[in-house]
Amino acid sequence: MRITAKLYGTLSHRFPGYQHARGIEVEIPDGATVKDLLALLEISESKGAVVAMEGRILKGDDTIRRGVPVHVFNAIHGG
Amino acid sequence: MKFIKANMSKKTIGVEDVPQEYAGLGGRGLTSIMINEEVPPKCDPLGPDNKLIIAPGLLSGTPLPNTSRISIGAKSPLTGTIKESNAGGTVSAALGRLGITALVIEGQAPEGELSTLRIDKTGNASLIPAQDYKGMRTYKFVEKMLEVYGKKTSVLCIGPAGEYRLTAASIQSSDMDGRPCRAAGRGGLGAVMGATGLKAVVVDQGGKSADAIVDPKAFKEAAKTLTKAVKEHPEPGHLMPTLGTAALVAPLNSMGAFPCYNARKGVMDGWEQISGEAMAELIQKRGGKTTHMGCAQCIIHCSNEFVDKEGKYVTGALEYETIWAMGGMTGIADLDAIARLDFLCDDIGVDTMSTGVAVAVAMDAGYKEFGDGAAAIEMVEEIATGTEFGKILGNGPAAIGRHFNHSRVPMVKGQGIAGYDPRAMLGNGVTFATSPMGADHTAGNVIGLCLQGKLDPLQAEGVVEISRNLQIAIAAFDCTGHCFMATVAAFDPEPGEAFRKVLGAKLGTHLGPEDFPGAMGVRVLKAEREFNRKAGFTNQDDRLPKFFYEEPLPPHNTVFAISDEELDSTFDF
Repeated sequence: MRITAKLYGTLSHRFPGYQHARGIEVEIPDGATVKDLLALLEISESKGAVVAMEGRILKGDDTIRRGVPVHVFNAIHGG
Repeated sequence: MKFIKANMSKKTIGVEDVPQEYAGLGGRGLTSIMINEEVPPKCDPLGPDNKLIIAPGLLSGTPLPNTSRISIGAKSPLTGTIKESNAGGTVSAALGRLGITALVIEGQAPEGELSTLRIDKTGNASLIPAQDYKGMRTYKFVEKMLEVYGKKTSVLCIGPAGEYRLTAASIQSSDMDGRPCRAAGRGGLGAVMGATGLKAVVVDQGGKSADAIVDPKAFKEAAKTLTKAVKEHPEPGHLMPTLGTAALVAPLNSMGAFPCYNARKGVMDGWEQISGEAMAELIQKRGGKTTHMGCAQCIIHCSNEFVDKEGKYVTGALEYETIWAMGGMTGIADLDAIARLDFLCDDIGVDTMSTGVAVAVAMDAGYKEFGDGAAAIEMVEEIATGTEFGKILGNGPAAIGRHFNHSRVPMVKGQGIAGYDPRAMLGNGVTFATSPMGADHTAGNVIGLCLQGKLDPLQAEGVVEISRNLQIAIAAFDCTGHCFMATVAAFDPEPGEAFRKVLGAKLGTHLGPEDFPGAMGVRVLKAEREFNRKAGFTNQDDRLPKFFYEEPLPPHNTVFAISDEELDSTFDF
């Protein structure tokens, strides 16, 4: 399935021409997890990447659902 | 290790060695413990019995990077509680390099009299008449001070709001470029400074008489480990110099925890227009600076310079909390309007957060439409011109709520909340409710744990303990002058140990985790809680406004679900 991922913080820098308005389209297998998605985007866990869908922070083994936009951003401790 | 005491009633300066009872204290620890000892808890915060204490951290003035946070404390006219507000800039390092442990401002000048407290590079202090600067806004004032004393000068000053003694008035701190864009914003300490008759503290940066480091070799070694950890950490090392704290706009909206339209919703319509990413893109396009060194000895550079369409400077250090307060709470999805509002608040000398919340309460009450940037700018301008409405606005959200007889005022103990809705991030609700400072995100922010997947933001179980531990840790770090952005790296075990070694080497003692942050944080919080008890605060004051318990917040449609009994167990020591 194809999903749209929006990348925030420093995470979009690896994708030249990335536009926030559009995000990035990724082809993932049905039942793919957060870990699978991050691996596909080549975002290592050491970067502190966080994935959110429908207002919830997902865990590594959570499944990405079809048709739901995914937000990926850096962990941050406060302002 | 000395105190400089300025008595504003008598116009005298006294210099004394730090008394034994305050030895080993700095920053928030010193301001809070001194206030608890020396300020009558029931005094008028704007009367002659209050004291304004300005204390560099224990590590300020040492070679360790990121140690230029200045703590300013007093009894707050906004909350009626004890207050410590800390700010970046250059003054903390400047005072530290002079071996000054604290400036203590006491008494009150006769009505209408204004002075600056000047400290030269030998540490000599004097009170200088400042009548000519009466009513002057902060940017122009700092420019004048730099003309008189040279560019290597640090300034802490108030603007018109502080001179009017408005209870949301800030004390502005000059940055590396001599711009007063850093603020000790919370708690109305600018009003306390104005009430003493002090316009500014003006410090030469060339001091060479810092307190000795007891074990310089151990200090250097541990400082190297800590500095490396800060540089390599993904947050202070990479994210902060890219977007600064504005990087929070995306996660908070993605979690549905971004209080907007006066906390009626958790996701703002059009938030992508005011995100950190949008801001960086706009600044880059216009030729401004997306990264900037704002504070002395900073290696993170989380600051920025926002410019207009012509590339002209508008404001510096446009940060998450201001974007949230002036954009999210007011529904203004326009970075140019937000940047202008940030500049105005810094220039007039009012807290961007309390002022943004107050504007939002007025809008919620029907005074103006949400999203009307021009109206918000006019409202904030009225603070400086001193109209009746301007004075109400400058007294913060509670005053605006009373004026409009509007009960939806998101505040605790009179201080507006920060950009994390307690209904969608329960842990921060606990911190807002129980912090001795009134609603204050810096007292113990759970956002990092939520984003690391260690805490479900909607989870009630265990959050009291999490808030307690964070509040203890932050109270301890606030004693050191170490910037929170760098402290994030010290949350990991190895750099955390290096931090203890640095501090221990400075003080000549061995520190274990039970000493720091443990015992130091508890000691500070105990003093603050004791002062508040004596001032008349009880457990009943450690509550959120009613609407947070009753009005579900979209999109999660949850309310704040921590019982009073649980809140009352936060400080079980």
